[in-house]
Amino acid sequence: METKIFAFAGKGGVGKTSLSAAAVRILSERYPEKKILAVDADPAVGLLTAFGVEPALTLDHVRLMIAESIDKGDTSEAAALLSEARFHLLDCITEVGNISFLAIGRPEAAGCYCKVNAYLKQVLEMISGNYDFVVIDGEAGIEQINRRVMENITFLVLVSDGSMKGIRVISTINDVSKKLVSCKRTGVVFNRVTEEFIAPADMGLPEILAVIEDDQAQRENDMRGETVFSLPEDSPLYVGTEKALFLLLGVENDAAV
Amino acid sequence: MRLFDEVIAAVSAMFPPSPDKAAAYDEKLCAAPGDKNAILFRGDTAYELGGSGKISVCSVLFGELPKKADTVCLYGPDLSEIDTDSAFAHVTFIQLRENAAEDAYYEQLKQVGFTVFQVYPEGYHIRVSPSAGKEQVRVSKAALRTAEPLSFMNVGCSLIREFKKHPDVEYVKTVFITKPDFDYRGLSALAAKAREITDAFRHTLESGELDCAACKMKPICDTVEGLRELHFNREDKKNGT
Repeated sequence: METKIFAFAGKGGVGKTSLSAAAVRILSERYPEKKILAVDADPAVGLLTAFGVEPALTLDHVRLMIAESIDKGDTSEAAALLSEARFHLLDCITEVGNISFLAIGRPEAAGCYCKVNAYLKQVLEMISGNYDFVVIDGEAGIEQINRRVMENITFLVLVSDGSMKGIRVISTINDVSKKLVSCKRTGVVFNRVTEEFIAPADMGLPEILAVIEDDQAQRENDMRGETVFSLPEDSPLYVGTEKALFLLLGVENDAAV
Repeated sequence: MRLFDEVIAAVSAMFPPSPDKAAAYDEKLCAAPGDKNAILFRGDTAYELGGSGKISVCSVLFGELPKKADTVCLYGPDLSEIDTDSAFAHVTFIQLRENAAEDAYYEQLKQVGFTVFQVYPEGYHIRVSPSAGKEQVRVSKAALRTAEPLSFMNVGCSLIREFKKHPDVEYVKTVFITKPDFDYRGLSALAAKAREITDAFRHTLESGELDCAACKMKPICDTVEGLRELHFNREDKKNGT
């Protein structure tokens, strides 16, 4: 089966991580025989927390180890450095059942994230083929689209709340992604909206996959510090995410992909 | 140049008198090639060699081989006889057709030595840390379940085939060690010394450093005849003698 890559993008605080986590859970439960890679590409490391997973090593740790060995005068050739990176990469992957977790980490030095983003892009190109599904919880904003970290994906899910600010961010991401991202299908999920919410019709947004109301069950789940597996299957977040996933995959609920 | 003779002698002296298994290189024995980017998942892995905190050692040593042949040797149980994460060592001895001079010799070592990073037998997921001299291997359950399970002889032949693609390589002997009571720490120290020799060699070539009193590599150079020769040759060249 060809790897299907879902990338979730949008403004900070709109629930990308909750949606990504629900997507990973739904895919892992519906397709227990498939292999899923959950990529926490947000330095806030929320996706792994949603599953109660603590990574032993992050991609940024590996990148730093390689960079430090070069700083210390290791002038090894590219082949040796690549082998070194591959060696540690396996330690960055935490396997739980049919899900593998990988976190970009939080660069300890202040400054931009472009180096670790560039490394993430290479790692994704290298390992995605091992998985049936890859779910990327993207960093807030447009940086990872601009940096082409998500250059080759299958589905781009733009997530917004009901605020004009959130909608403008996904509109910008949508415009930029048309130039910089190769993807089969793009869709929008409106999350944490009120009953009165009406999706804007005049902003050139792609198809709306789901509109999810503010989810009390999810909020309580978070407050209790429970993982996404404790979220009730009839909660708005679960139902909305499931609807979005199956629309993108073009399958009926429970159908094979 | 003969840089690793002392290390080769010391490593060879660590092996028991006869291997548990040995085979001459035969291309027909080579393992099926795998995908270099394939990940062997924990659930599909029977065990990991050198993993889960067990010691692992990896080294490639260049020098004269006493036996002029391409061979694979195993000390300890074979892949199908192991059922749990174990200590592991893998040492490859390489005899080049002709040792080039100084800078070109370094290039030979580098190009040939990199081969260990480029062999990916199916069901045998190798990862090598050149800086730490470690090689860890996940062995797949599937590779051991077949009528003819994967063996070190298959893996060794695949490795030798890759080495033999280099025109400079004359003979290869690749040795796998899985014996539980082997002195892995002693071997690890010798592998570290081999890496130091390579570093000192590179340092001399790249830095042009000839003032031993100021050079951090002096302690290692003092123990290796080939490095001393290199130093004096460079000094003679500099002085035009």
